[in-house]
Amino acid sequence: MSFNGCPHLQAYKAATGTDTFKIIYSYFVACSTADTRLKKAQICKCVSCDDVRPRLHACLSCIYFGCYDKKHIHAHSEEKKHHIAIDVSYGTVYCFICGDYVYDSELEDIAKAQCQRASLSLGLKQRFFPWQPSEEELILLRCNPKRRRVTEASHIGLRGLINLGNTCFMNCILQSLAHTPILRDYFMADKHACQKTDESQQCLVCEMARLYQEFYSGSRTPFIPYKLLHLVWTNARHLAGYEQQDAHEFLIAALDVLHRHCKEMNGVSGSNPHHCNCIIDRIFTGGLQSDVTCKRCNNVSTTIDPIWDISLDLGPGSIHSSHLLSSSTTNAAANHNSNLTQANGVRVIGDSGSSSTSQSIASTEFTHSPAPGFTNSPGNYEPTSLVECLKRFTKTEHLGNSAKIICSKCHSYQESTKQLTMKKLPIVACFHLKRFEHSTGYHKKISTFVSFPEELDMTPFMSSSRNNNNGYNMHSAPSITCDNNRYSLFAVVNHYGTIESGHYTCYIRSLKEQWYRCEDHLIKRATAGEVLNSEGYLLFYHKQVLEYE
Amino acid sequence: MRATINQKLVETGERERLKELLRARLIECGWRDQLKAYCKEIVQQKGLEHITVDDLVSEITPRGRSLVPDEVKKELLQRIRTFLAQQSNV
Repeated sequence: MSFNGCPHLQAYKAATGTDTFKIIYSYFVACSTADTRLKKAQICKCVSCDDVRPRLHACLSCIYFGCYDKKHIHAHSEEKKHHIAIDVSYGTVYCFICGDYVYDSELEDIAKAQCQRASLSLGLKQRFFPWQPSEEELILLRCNPKRRRVTEASHIGLRGLINLGNTCFMNCILQSLAHTPILRDYFMADKHACQKTDESQQCLVCEMARLYQEFYSGSRTPFIPYKLLHLVWTNARHLAGYEQQDAHEFLIAALDVLHRHCKEMNGVSGSNPHHCNCIIDRIFTGGLQSDVTCKRCNNVSTTIDPIWDISLDLGPGSIHSSHLLSSSTTNAAANHNSNLTQANGVRVIGDSGSSSTSQSIASTEFTHSPAPGFTNSPGNYEPTSLVECLKRFTKTEHLGNSAKIICSKCHSYQESTKQLTMKKLPIVACFHLKRFEHSTGYHKKISTFVSFPEELDMTPFMSSSRNNNNGYNMHSAPSITCDNNRYSLFAVVNHYGTIESGHYTCYIRSLKEQWYRCEDHLIKRATAGEVLNSEGYLLFYHKQVLEYE
Repeated sequence: MRATINQKLVETGERERLKELLRARLIECGWRDQLKAYCKEIVQQKGLEHITVDDLVSEITPRGRSLVPDEVKKELLQRIRTFLAQQSNV
């Protein structure tokens, strides 16, 4: 089989040219105007049996449509000696002398252009074409003839990381990031184009790219991430030194540095200055909606803040609970991101004005807590599962007497209720179980077992599932849309020990179902049961179905 | 009836949209890769010179049909229903 068709097609092209093909293609295969669609709808049926069946073929020598499965087109070809026909459904060219479809690169180029025009006219995204190696890639492939086959048993992409002195907090995050499927694909596809080649030693994104290369190099000796550590130290000063650090703090700092370096190195990305489309934001940024409802006039003021992770409270939900702490921290996260707004243009949307509104609310809450009249929280209720934590996170809370705000509609100083929901789900959802409690006067670690599922559906926690009266509603009407908000667990970071000193390890999922436990330089196979029974600190979930951008 | 529906689907471009959706879904769920691997297997078995597209089509059609996930079928059906409900004159 060649891409120059067959001799019969070449003879046909020499005699008639490619115009007929182009016309038939644009009218009956891939229509790009309403007019051609109408024509196609009216004319496209078998001349012999007047039926519309799949795999209708059009003769390329005269005006004739015939069924393929009932062999009407075959009969036509036989009778008229017209040997070349086109499949109207797929646009492929058939040669009756060869008795098979033939492929001609010139015709395929015409077809591709027509298809693109057609998708454009219908407002569809560009059609997916499978990867074709370019000339350059073909040369690279020829120069590197060694191929590795990935099977169920292969441990490709696994590599231990040397502990550089209390750096297990970094190692567990690096392992989690290295095994984040979509981030790995980005780096393995060499998508990061660092603009400052002379300073690429200073770019954390480039260093991450090197980490992936090291992980997939096939080398079995543990990797020493000293350059990475140094780059984090120089860019996130608060993490410098050989002390023990919080893995969650490291994650956020690493994402922040990566995000900044994507920006700096790639210049202004995207046409919208308020929307960052760097790989970190595209993967990790979700939108947290906060609805504050005035108790007097029921006016709802909504703010949406970008978030990179969801911090969830553990421990009993007593009066000065959880929810206040949680909202203050989420707002801290939001503030952190709003700071980025100024610097980097992360979009903060909100119809109650600016994000400063939500910040002021947060600070009010924070300074005045504990708030009396927190009625919605059942006393001493301790969540024992991730879903329960999320229920608590998205529950309507009464802000109480001491956290009054001025309503933007009725302008009165009023009590209000507040509810957090997910407006936009990130591709990778990172849940932070707040096991380290820093309250005034005491610090302690909460070692409660919190169960978490391998598969998580976020639909109930979406803003679209919000019920104005009672907040969270598990049994909302089944949605008509086919939105898929399901996530799969792919990494878990665990902490052993106390709040003062301890050790981090992590579980990561490799290939489809195989789990591994990574402890610095040691990597062992693990079972899913082992993972789900572990004391999770950070839980990483990956969206199962990705939408097209 | 069938012809009228088909005509409407083509005229409005909905048929192309559905086709594109189906294409996307089949790629997402791995159907395309599975079937491609199966095709390769058959071609290797019979030899490239001794096989036509027709042979391949008749060989893979049963498996191809059975491998389409129910969810994908459901989604497509739902989309077609919605479309027809909007077309009051059908």
